[in-house]
Amino acid sequence: MNNTVKTDVLIIGAGPSGLATAIHLADLLKTNGIEKQIIVVDKGQSVGSHILSGAVIKPQAFRDLLPDVNFDEIPFDSKVASDEMYFLQNEKSSLKVPFHPPYMGNSGNYCASLCEICRYLAAKATEKGVDIYPGFSMSDILYDEKGDVAGAKCIDTGIDHDGNKLENFVEGTRVEASITIFAEGTRGSLAKKLIEKKNLQQGRNPQIYSLGVKELFSVPEGTIKAGEVYHTMGFPAMNDNVFGGGFIYGLKDNKVAVGLVLGLDFTDPTYDIYHAFQIWKTHPFVEKFVKEGKILEYGAKTLPEGGYYSLTKYFLNNAMIVGDSAGFLAMPALKGIHLSIYSGMSAAKAAYDAFVKNDFSKNTLKNYEQYVQQSPIYKEMYKCRNFRQGFTKGTLVGMFNFGTQLITGGAGFAGKLATHNDYRSTKTVDNAKKPLFKDKWASYDIDKPYNRSKVDDVYYSGTQHDEEQRIHLHINNEKEFRDINIKKYDAPCQYFCPGEVFEIHTDKTTGKKEIRIHNENCLHCKSCDIKEPHAAITWNVPNGGNGPDYKYM
Amino acid sequence: MALTIISLIKQVPLPSEMRMGDDGLMDRTKAKSIINIDCQFGLEAGLQLKKKYPDARMIVCSMGPASFETALRTAISMGYDEAYLLSDRKLGGSDTYATGLAISTMLRSMGFSKDSKEPFVIFAGRQTSDGDTAHVPSQVAEALGIPQATFVERIEPNDDGTITARRIIEGGYQMLKLPMPCVISFTPTGIKPRKPSLIGAIKARRATINMRTVDDIGMSAEAQQHIGINGSPTIVAGVENIESDRPPIVMCSGQNEEQLVDSLMDNIKKGGNKLEKKAEKTKKEADTTGLEAVDLRGDNKGILTWAEVVNGKIARPSIELLTPARHLADQLGGDTKITTVLIGKNVRPLAPTLFEHGSDKVIIVENDKLEEYLILPFAEIITQIIHQYKPEITLFAATTAGRELAPRIGMKTGSGVTADCTGLEIGDYIDKKNKRIIRPILHSRRPTYGESKLATILGFVYPQISTARAGTFAVPERVEGRTGEVIDFTPSLNADTYATSILETVRGEGGLASLFEADIIVAGGRGTTGDDLKLVKELAQALKDQGLKAEWACSRVVVDEGYAEYARQIGQTGKTVRPKVYVAIGISGAIQHIAGIKESGIIVAIDQNPKANIFRYADFGICGLYQDIVPELIERVRQGFTFGLEKH
Repeated sequence: MNNTVKTDVLIIGAGPSGLATAIHLADLLKTNGIEKQIIVVDKGQSVGSHILSGAVIKPQAFRDLLPDVNFDEIPFDSKVASDEMYFLQNEKSSLKVPFHPPYMGNSGNYCASLCEICRYLAAKATEKGVDIYPGFSMSDILYDEKGDVAGAKCIDTGIDHDGNKLENFVEGTRVEASITIFAEGTRGSLAKKLIEKKNLQQGRNPQIYSLGVKELFSVPEGTIKAGEVYHTMGFPAMNDNVFGGGFIYGLKDNKVAVGLVLGLDFTDPTYDIYHAFQIWKTHPFVEKFVKEGKILEYGAKTLPEGGYYSLTKYFLNNAMIVGDSAGFLAMPALKGIHLSIYSGMSAAKAAYDAFVKNDFSKNTLKNYEQYVQQSPIYKEMYKCRNFRQGFTKGTLVGMFNFGTQLITGGAGFAGKLATHNDYRSTKTVDNAKKPLFKDKWASYDIDKPYNRSKVDDVYYSGTQHDEEQRIHLHINNEKEFRDINIKKYDAPCQYFCPGEVFEIHTDKTTGKKEIRIHNENCLHCKSCDIKEPHAAITWNVPNGGNGPDYKYM
Repeated sequence: MALTIISLIKQVPLPSEMRMGDDGLMDRTKAKSIINIDCQFGLEAGLQLKKKYPDARMIVCSMGPASFETALRTAISMGYDEAYLLSDRKLGGSDTYATGLAISTMLRSMGFSKDSKEPFVIFAGRQTSDGDTAHVPSQVAEALGIPQATFVERIEPNDDGTITARRIIEGGYQMLKLPMPCVISFTPTGIKPRKPSLIGAIKARRATINMRTVDDIGMSAEAQQHIGINGSPTIVAGVENIESDRPPIVMCSGQNEEQLVDSLMDNIKKGGNKLEKKAEKTKKEADTTGLEAVDLRGDNKGILTWAEVVNGKIARPSIELLTPARHLADQLGGDTKITTVLIGKNVRPLAPTLFEHGSDKVIIVENDKLEEYLILPFAEIITQIIHQYKPEITLFAATTAGRELAPRIGMKTGSGVTADCTGLEIGDYIDKKNKRIIRPILHSRRPTYGESKLATILGFVYPQISTARAGTFAVPERVEGRTGEVIDFTPSLNADTYATSILETVRGEGGLASLFEADIIVAGGRGTTGDDLKLVKELAQALKDQGLKAEWACSRVVVDEGYAEYARQIGQTGKTVRPKVYVAIGISGAIQHIAGIKESGIIVAIDQNPKANIFRYADFGICGLYQDIVPELIERVRQGFTFGLEKH
């Protein structure tokens, strides 16, 4: 049976970057009377169901992407009405920071559910003739005889855990495209393969990440106004020398989005951002917003925050990488949505050039880089190029480094600051600072009505995975995992995973420890792929339509 | 000779998303729509059959609003080629009879009927999650005049063009051989539905959905009298909430399994919480002054039941059925008789059992070919008896046989059918439009919307036909020596009636009647499959060793995943049991499972998820890992703990 589809452009991922690429390319082609087929594929069961963000969005990118659209039509939640930063000194007290740290002001920005925004962008793209297919996972890159990207293939379905074909086996569709755009979001599983195979990170800093966990509450009238924005620094992460902070965003219809975003370069092998988040909520400053709240949704995602020096090389023959997959995110404000859109638009311009010239090699697609440098991306990312690296030694050193960068226009006194892969930061149990996080967090009372266990929260992500498939989380070397990750590190994934996917089971009689993987809980945040010591876990894409079902995240 | 494979599907709200709203009502508005799960298995069966017939024409049909188009496109993305949607306002509110009639008319208009030259098969799901009747496949088969097999798990195409089907029956399965054309309805235990392919989805997006109205399909004006809300032979007369009749749970407390089990023993000794009865609202009597009471029964009189014979004995649900039959006969008063049909080989000696449990007359049809139940001859025989004896009410036990017989017979007699009733009463119907009161009329009550509501269904065509849920009614008291009239009946059957044949019937463990007699049932759910239900079985055995009438059982997933046979399945699609103690281990408590246990004396739940639904229905709960709790519990049972039951 014919199993191959040919298209001009294949975009993998219907997030802001992929949809921006599709919309802008469709516009450019139409303006110039060129007809090309653009297919967008997304692994979520519907557009938006794998999309999670804070989110406070800088709106200019949307004006640039959709020049002919009435701005009010874009379904932002509410305009930022107030924007305050608090320093939580300890578990009880807080201090309003009287000014905004540079680059972190939000005036003129909008609170939004990025799920909603993506659904809107998808509708716009569809109007422009783009074909969007949610519910399909791309598991392999297709290469042509020269070894260049030629498209991608959907995952085979109807197979058991060991990969044997079942009666309902369906071979994944092969999509051959002149140009393939990787827009899979943070740590895209195909983008990762491509970056490794083509050495695209060579000469650049390794990408580093943070993990954000977020809950959406429905709260009584008067708890918070739509557009009220608060950020917190300090407690509880600062005590553990972990980088990052919290956010509280008031949304319309008496909803509040709360979240904690912390760097994954922590050293404690038992550090658990989810529990830090539960502790953070008990701080009186945060508690007042969620005390009477009713949980609506829960989710987690990672963010690439290595900045300018960690950007991967994002174009090659027949292919480009956009958005979070390439590392387009601006620190210190942790804003990537507008950059994703600009990166998508830049890639679209390069793709358009390629169609005009009928040349899809990097000779034309290198224009992408030039368009990026002309766009607001470059300006924003370059001046903060050393921001995040400055914080790897902790918040105080970070503040000093950031101060020097402000004076020097981003360079600081040390020039280019390096990063390590996050999984290298984790120390063994013996070498880690005591007491370990796992021995500490139980001393906090996190049994409040607005606290939940991880497993219960996972329910509110709506995640589900087909039983019949290979476990999509792969332990690369079982023996090494037992001998090193479990024995020396106490299997950090069992702590840091925000979905409680990993369980270490101890046999009652032999005392032998082994890992159990509850892939059905997976939130597709990819922390395990990023953070497990020795890069011991690979996150592969599961069946299409599996994973969380975010509605207003 | 090209085969046509037709799949009938329905779009339903995603069952897991049907949540109870704050007002206690089932909130369907937020639920996503999916292809009904059982129908997905039918779709897959069609695609499997295509492997044998690569040139088969693949058609998918549905009836419903225009939004059902989504489901049809999904079917195309799985591998179907053509899609037809029968969509017409005139069909709104149709009951199952009207639905079966309309769908069969559409299929006929497309050239598919008994007389078609080209072979075809019609696949469907066993039942829908929002209607739960399992009627339509039988009704379509009867309306087209072709054989059927329902509750089928798997099929194998044979080289001679016939199909071998594995049909689930109580306590086992049956292998049937069917000719084409035929209708087969699938349970969700066969080959799992495939995922759509991207290439299929691309095709589906561009495909044309053929929309049809009742006029397009050439439905006669006469037939149009029998569809929609006004034409259907049955109506939903009322829906009320089912209120919990269990007091709040007592959760056991303790730091470890030892303390938890101590706490359980202590709590059982003390007794559970008490239910505070809400004052019953007095119903407002409807104003019926000036309305004339009319009796539409004509010369239809009496109650007819069918006694199912399994392994040479009358099946327990058919005896239970005599309880509501007697109740209705008493309510109807006069000289209302209960007549029971007994069909089979050498069944005459079984008649006294029926008399002793309440039948007044027994109609015997003896035939060596009818030793095992078969839909076509049994439906034909009972229909001929109905035509001759004209009962006003006909009742079947809602077994796998009863649930396919009733709708097939209903299609022949023009009666609507009410499936899986838990209450049967005689009442009135105030016909406001015609200013009259119809009396007496059968009020068939059945749980619906995932057991959250009780719907009352009335039928206006005689006989009024209902099936009664097994295990809901008690076996009537046996009056030794009670006798009645025996009538012999000789049906006239033609050769077509034997178009389907039974190749093999397999019943494991005698249908496990012991589950109905057990004082204590230990049931395992998905959570206990890790050790193959070893601990569940051990606990049941320990209880037996203590001299208790104990048995083990399981929830539906356990059967679906092959850890236990169907006969052990408790719940809406399995057995309804009423032991003195029900111990649910690792069972989340899906509404369908609760339906099968809520008559139990006390319910003890053990689950690691404190928010599991089962804890909302249980009397005593332990939150913990079953691997820790159950061994401790077994130990205590061995030391004499009996969950408060008397030893025999």
